[in-house]
Amino acid sequence: MSEPDRARPEHVRPGTRADDGARAGTAARTGGTRPGTATGPGRLLVAVYAIFALAAGARAAVQIATRYSEAPLAYVLSAFAAAVYVLATVALARGGRTSFRVAVAACSIELAGVLVVGTLSVADSAAFPDETVWSLYGRGYGFVPLVLPVAGLLWLRRTARAAGGTPAGGGRPVSGGE
Amino acid sequence: MTDVLGTVIIVVALLAAAYALVATLRDRAMDLGHLIVLGVLEALLIAQAVVGFVKLSGGEGPDGSATFVGYLLGSLLIPVAGAGWGLLERSRWGSGVIVVAGVAVAVMVVRMNQLWSGTGV
Repeated sequence: MSEPDRARPEHVRPGTRADDGARAGTAARTGGTRPGTATGPGRLLVAVYAIFALAAGARAAVQIATRYSEAPLAYVLSAFAAAVYVLATVALARGGRTSFRVAVAACSIELAGVLVVGTLSVADSAAFPDETVWSLYGRGYGFVPLVLPVAGLLWLRRTARAAGGTPAGGGRPVSGGE
Repeated sequence: MTDVLGTVIIVVALLAAAYALVATLRDRAMDLGHLIVLGVLEALLIAQAVVGFVKLSGGEGPDGSATFVGYLLGSLLIPVAGAGWGLLERSRWGSGVIVVAGVAVAVMVVRMNQLWSGTGV
């Protein structure tokens, strides 16, 4: 059955050039190759990231400025966490190829950070006499620091899929569960 | 801090969040009603900041006031940012940002009260 199929012009054949079709569709939708990390549900994510960048940054600034010698490790970690949040916020808000990679890296570091620091703060509380955003898996912040990087990575994966070729079934966005 | 004003702000912030959540669940963008609620919230936060600074200058308040002032000024940004975002993103997710903003303001005011009374620092 391949003979008549091959005889047809390429653009009529369904499904054989999925990448071309998807790319054209993406370009039409978002006006370029930018994955839309900052639109739709992404806005929500960027908003929560922005608040955490603000909260962690302000907290680290106060801690380091007023009582650095009390718990240098915790305060340096606070500052590091703040920097990662700022990076993730900007990268998610900007979109584009490089930003996409930066956002994936930032979310991954964040997930690793909250898991490592969370575990360390449970195991060796003496090393963390003052709370950081990531202490006790972010309990002081309603465990949002633990959920946020996971949500970020899932969202990045979905925008990457939408940009790189929609799977059969239309890829209709699942409505966010609130 | 004045307990009454703080409580009023928390209630208004949560009302704004609930109101925006309704829009989010109904798949609607924010409308004038949300803008008005956010405006009221911002006015209350400005009043709180003024009261807070007056009391701080009068010698009241927590020992390390830097964190408190940070919260006081930081909270002023949230409703404005939420409104701006809601106007930019004309979809349910714009309303969703306002939900986040309302909850964030409520949490910040609770935290400010804790800092002021010296509990949970």
